[in-house]
Amino acid sequence: MAERRKYKKRYCKYCEAKVDFMDYKDVGALRFSLSERYKIMPRRLTGNCKRHQDMISTVIKRARAAALVPYTVTRKTVVTAPFENLK
Amino acid sequence: MRNYENLVIVKPTLTAEEIQASINAIEEIITSNGGEIAARDTMGMRKLAYQIGKNERGYFHVVYYSVAPSAISEIERRFRINEDLLRFVTIKYDTNREVAAWNQLVLKANKKASSPAAEAKTETVEAEAETVEVEEVEEVAEESAE
Repeated sequence: MAERRKYKKRYCKYCEAKVDFMDYKDVGALRFSLSERYKIMPRRLTGNCKRHQDMISTVIKRARAAALVPYTVTRKTVVTAPFENLK
Repeated sequence: MRNYENLVIVKPTLTAEEIQASINAIEEIITSNGGEIAARDTMGMRKLAYQIGKNERGYFHVVYYSVAPSAISEIERRFRINEDLLRFVTIKYDTNREVAAWNQLVLKANKKASSPAAEAKTETVEAEAETVEVEEVEEVAEESAE
């Protein structure tokens, strides 16, 4: 092995759950693919497959447009419990 | 006819009746353009994830409907003119998989709409539990008095 893996080899959790469609209004389900600052988590960290990563990215962008999920969290707009008020 | 979903955010500064009136106006816009409303889902007053025009909160309402694709531009134009709306999001359900998901969402929304009676029941049960607690407290008070 020329280069050691930095992260554990992951599998796609959405494939395992056989997710065919994601609803942008279900904010709790999007949490898995969002970082603490509400960035979309990269595939290399979550282990999502390409198909589900494409689905989740469009769904997160819809939720952002609908003001269900913030676009950015800066120091000024930071909230104490980020996901509590969204449920 | 194609399946669509519209999420609208109504201004929080309006009174409850005004919010209801503006939601009725929104549905009237859809039906007057040849749309058939399949289901509606009230998410209620929620905190917005970010401010929209200095507003911290908004009243969320979702309408599922099917309409001819050419009518969507007119519906969106009317929504843009409406000043009661902070934001609207139109989602198209086109492919077979999406249409199946749309049917599921409609079923879920209708079930939710028909079940408020059940929710009210649970509330009454909770209220009964509270009254029982109060009675117990009174008994304790009586015992201490003796």
